[in-house]
Amino acid sequence: MFALQDFNYAVRLLLKRPGFTALTILVMAVGLGLSIYLFSFLNTMAYKPLPFKDGESLIVIDKSLNGLEYNGGNLEFYNYQVIREQLKGITEHSLYSDTSANVSGRDGARRYNATEADHNLFQMTRTKPILGRDFTVEDTKVGAEDVAVIGYDLWQNHFAGDPQVVNQTIRVDGKTTRVIGVMPEGYFFPRNAEIWLPMRISQEDMVQRNTGSGGGIVHLAPGTSLADINNQLTTIMKRLEQEYPKTNAGIGAHAASFPMSTMGGGSNIFLTSMYVVSVLLLLLASINVGNLLLSRAVERSKETAIRVALGAPRARLVGQMLWESTIICTVGGVVGLLVAAWALEVTESITATFTDDKPFFWWKFGIDSYTVSISLIFVISTILITGLLPAWKNSGADFNAVLRDGTRGALGKKAGRLNRVLVISEVFLSACVLIAACSMVVGTYIANKRDYGADIENVLTAKVRLIEANYNTREKRAQFAKRLHNELENNVGIGDVAIFSALPGEYTWSPTIAVEGTEYINENSYPRANYIVLTPGSLQKIGVQLRSGRYFDSSDDGLEKRTVIITDSFADKYFAGQDPVGKRIRVAEIDGDEPRWLTVVGVVEHTIQGQSFSPSSKTPSIFRSITQAPRFNMSIAMRMKADDAIVIRTLRKVLEQIDPDLPAHLIKTYEEKIARNTAGIGFASKVFLLFAIVALILASSGIYGVMTNTISQRTQEIGVKRALGAEDSHITREFIWAGVKQLLWGVIPGTLAGGSLGYALGLMMSTGTDVLGMVIVSVVTVIAIVVLTATFLPTKRVLMMEPSLALRYE
Amino acid sequence: MSEVLIELKGIKKVFFTEEVETHALSNISLTINQGEYVSISGPSGCGKSTLLSLIGLLDTSTDGNYRLGQHDVSDISKQERARIRNKEIGFIFQSFNLISDLDVEENVELPLTYRKDLTKEQRKNMVREALDKVDMAHRAKHFPSQLSGGQQQRVAVARAIAGNPSIILADEPTGNLDSKNADAVMELLDKLHAEGATICMVTHDPRSAERADRSIEVLDGQVIADQSKQSRTVAA
Repeated sequence: MFALQDFNYAVRLLLKRPGFTALTILVMAVGLGLSIYLFSFLNTMAYKPLPFKDGESLIVIDKSLNGLEYNGGNLEFYNYQVIREQLKGITEHSLYSDTSANVSGRDGARRYNATEADHNLFQMTRTKPILGRDFTVEDTKVGAEDVAVIGYDLWQNHFAGDPQVVNQTIRVDGKTTRVIGVMPEGYFFPRNAEIWLPMRISQEDMVQRNTGSGGGIVHLAPGTSLADINNQLTTIMKRLEQEYPKTNAGIGAHAASFPMSTMGGGSNIFLTSMYVVSVLLLLLASINVGNLLLSRAVERSKETAIRVALGAPRARLVGQMLWESTIICTVGGVVGLLVAAWALEVTESITATFTDDKPFFWWKFGIDSYTVSISLIFVISTILITGLLPAWKNSGADFNAVLRDGTRGALGKKAGRLNRVLVISEVFLSACVLIAACSMVVGTYIANKRDYGADIENVLTAKVRLIEANYNTREKRAQFAKRLHNELENNVGIGDVAIFSALPGEYTWSPTIAVEGTEYINENSYPRANYIVLTPGSLQKIGVQLRSGRYFDSSDDGLEKRTVIITDSFADKYFAGQDPVGKRIRVAEIDGDEPRWLTVVGVVEHTIQGQSFSPSSKTPSIFRSITQAPRFNMSIAMRMKADDAIVIRTLRKVLEQIDPDLPAHLIKTYEEKIARNTAGIGFASKVFLLFAIVALILASSGIYGVMTNTISQRTQEIGVKRALGAEDSHITREFIWAGVKQLLWGVIPGTLAGGSLGYALGLMMSTGTDVLGMVIVSVVTVIAIVVLTATFLPTKRVLMMEPSLALRYE
Repeated sequence: MSEVLIELKGIKKVFFTEEVETHALSNISLTINQGEYVSISGPSGCGKSTLLSLIGLLDTSTDGNYRLGQHDVSDISKQERARIRNKEIGFIFQSFNLISDLDVEENVELPLTYRKDLTKEQRKNMVREALDKVDMAHRAKHFPSQLSGGQQQRVAVARAIAGNPSIILADEPTGNLDSKNADAVMELLDKLHAEGATICMVTHDPRSAERADRSIEVLDGQVIADQSKQSRTVAA
C-alpha cells in the first residue's frame, strides 16, 4: 500500500505545486503548533508530576470553605490530625505551612519565602540536602534549638556559596538560627520556598482547636486515586461538621496534585475550555487541509479513473492520497513543534509575571516527553483526518462515468453532501471556538476595566511583616504602624501614605460578620466580609470615595475604640433602605480579639479585594483603624513625588531606622501589582484571542474555499438552469438559501456548544449572561457574513459567465 | 406562408483572448420560420454550436441584429433574455444536462418553476403531459442516475417541451447515444415537429440532418449552404 513509488509520486506532486504545498503545510503548522503548545503549556501548569522520584503520587490536602478551595496550608491542625488518622490509601504523610521569614545579615534584612515543615518534608520528595542534613523529629519539638535548612539561592546570595555554611548562624525573624543544611539548586518544594524552618506543634496543639493550620502532603498508595481520597475527605469532613457545627460549619478538605492546587477556583472549567478550543482548532485546520486535498482529488479524478481502469487496487489509491497527507502533516508537525518549542521558551518569562511572588518551581516550559508524544498523536490524527476526505472521494467516484465524461451536468450527490458537511463542520467549529474564545477575551477586558476603588496611578507599594517575637503586644504593632506612616510622609519624595492590612486588589481574610438585630440560625448563615485594618487617613489618601458619614480620624485612635467603616456594597446588602451610620456590626469569627460590637461611622465605595474577575471581587468589605486592631502584615502605598528608586531607598531607610530586622518586600508600583492580578488570565485571554483569530482566518478561508469549490463544480448546473430561463437573482437566492441552511445547521449546535463553554467561562470571570449574549450575537453575525459572502461572490462569478460558457465549463 | 420566427442579420461573434482574436461567426444572416425543422451542420469548430447559443440567447453577438418573433433581442437585458429563454425556447443538450439531485418529475418541472404565472397544479399537469409525450411518465420518481442514456435524453426532451416553447433548440441530441436510442430520440423530434413544433438542431450526423426540412451548413463561421429537403432530394 505504502509503496516507495507512491511516496516519490506524492513528493513529485507536492513539489509541482509549491504554492499549494506551502499553504497546506502552513495551515497544518499553525494548527499543530498552537495545539501542541497549548497542550504542553497546560500539562506543565496543571498536570505534570513534580520532578521528584514518586512525584506522580505526591498530593496536597488543604482546606475548603463552603466549596471554595484554599491552598498554602489552611487546614486546622485538629482537622488534619483526624484526616491523617482516618484516611486510607496513603503510604506517607507530612505537614507544611507556607509563610515568610525576615532574614537579617550584614547587608540588612531581607524577606524570603519560607516553609514551616514537618521533619519528613524532604523525604516526601526523596531529596537530600547537598550540604549538612535535613530535619529530624528532635528539630520539630517545641523548645528545640532554632535551626533552618536554606535553599541554594539563599546560600549563594547570603553566604556567597560558602561551603562551610553548615552550623553558621543567621537571624530569622529576629531569632538566631543555625543553618543545618543546604538544599540543591532548583529545589523550592512545596511551591517557592527559599528557607525551611521546623514546624513545631505540640501534641496538645494537634488535638485542640484554634491552634494553627497547615497543609497535608501525602503519597498515594498504589491503586488509590485522587478521587478516592477526595471521597474519603468529604465523608470525614462531613462527620466533623456534624460533631462540631460551631467550628466546622462549611469547612471541608480537598486533595489535589501540587500544580492543580495552585490553579485556583474554576480551573477545571478553564482547562477544559482551553483543551476543547485547542482540539477544535486542530480539527478546523485539518478540515481545511482535507478540503484542499479534496479539491486536488477532484482535479485529478480523470487520472485516478485511468489508474482504476489500468487495474490499480483501491487500497493503493487511498495509500497514495495518504502519502500526501502524511508528508504535509509531518512537515507541518515538525514546523509546529519547533514553533511551539520557541513559544514555550518565551512563555517561561511571561509566566513569571503571573504571581505576585516567585513563580512555582515546576513552571519549566519546553519540549519534554509529553510534548513529543502529544505531537506524534496529533500528527497521526491529522494525517487520517486530512487523508480520509480525498480517500472517501476517491473510493466513491464513478470512474467509468469520469472516463466517459458523463459527469457533465450537476454535482454528484455524494460530493454535494460532502461539501455541505464540510461547510457545516467549519461553521460549527468556528462558532464554538469563537464564542468560547471571545467570552474569555471580553471577560478579561471587563475584568481589567473594573474599578478596584483606589487611585493606583503613581503609587509605589510594599509589604512589611512584623516579627511576632518582637511585636508581641497590640500596642507595639499599633505604634509601629503609626510611626511608619508618619515618618514616610515626612519625606520629601513621598506624598500621601496609606497603610492597609490589604490594599484594594489584595486578597484578605473574610470572617463571618453579624449585624445587630439580625438573627442567625447557625454558623453557616452569617455573612462574610473582607476585614481590613488601616491607618487613619488611608482610605481618602488612596482615593476610596466617601459615600456617607466620615472617614477615620484621630477620634478613632485607641485600642479600646470600636468604630468601623463599611463599603456601600455592605450597606446595600445588610442595611438596605436604612442609614447605616450609627448601626452596629461585629466580627463573629474569633479574631484573637473579644468579639465586640463595632459602630459604623462611615460608608465608602466598594473596593475589590483580590482579583477583579474572581467571585470574591463582589464581597463587601469593612475597615477598622489599625490603632484599634493592629496586625502583623501590612501593605504600604506611597504616592511618589520623586523617582521610584528614591522612594524605595527612603522606605528602606525609614524601616531600618525603626527596626533593622524588618525588610520591605514585594516592592512594586500599584499599577504593576494590579496588572499581576490579571496577568495569568490576561495571558490565557491572549492565547484565546490568538486561537480566535486563527479560527476566524481558517474558517473564513475554509468556508470560502469549500463554497467556491462547490459552486464551481456546479457551474454547468447553473448554466443549465440559466438556459432553462432561471434569472440570475433566482439562482443567487437559491445558493444563498442553501448557504443559510448550512449556516443554521452549523451555527445552532456551534452556538450551543460554544455558549456552554462561554457560560462556564463567564461564571469563572464573573461576567453576566448579557456579555455572553453579546458575544454570541457578534460571533454569529461575523460567521453569517463569512458564509453569505463565501456564497455570494463565487455565485456572482459564475453568473458573470455567459450561459453558453457555463454549459461547456469543465 | 409561415411567419418568420427567427431573423438573424449580419451576426458576428468574436472571442477575445489575451493574444488571439477568434472569429467564430462572420456575417451570418438567416431566418427560421414558425414550424420549420432546421438542421445546422458542419465540421467541428465551424461555429455551429456558437450559432445555436446565439439563437438560444445563451450568448450575445459581437455585431448584427437578431429578431425573435416580433421583438429585437439583440440588445436586451440579462433578465429579459432569461425570461425569453424560459418561455420561448426549449433546449436539448448532447450530454442531457439533467440535475442529478432532482428526480425526473422535478427536472421536467424545473423551467416551469421559474415562471410566476403558473400554479403548482398547472405545473404538475404540464409535466405529466410532457412526460406522456416522451413516454417517461412511469419513471417520474426516478433519478437521472437510474436511467439509461436514451431515457435521460427523453426526459431532457420532455423538459424542453414542457413549457410549450416557440422553438426547440437541440445541440447534438444524439451525440451521446447509441444508434437505437438515437433513432428513438430523432423519432420523438419528428413527432414533435409533426405536431407543429419549430426545431433547430445542431448535428454532424448526416442521418439526423436528413430528417430536417431544411439543412444549413456552416464552415469557418459562415453559412455556405442553406437547402430545403426538396432541393436536397432534387440535387441527389
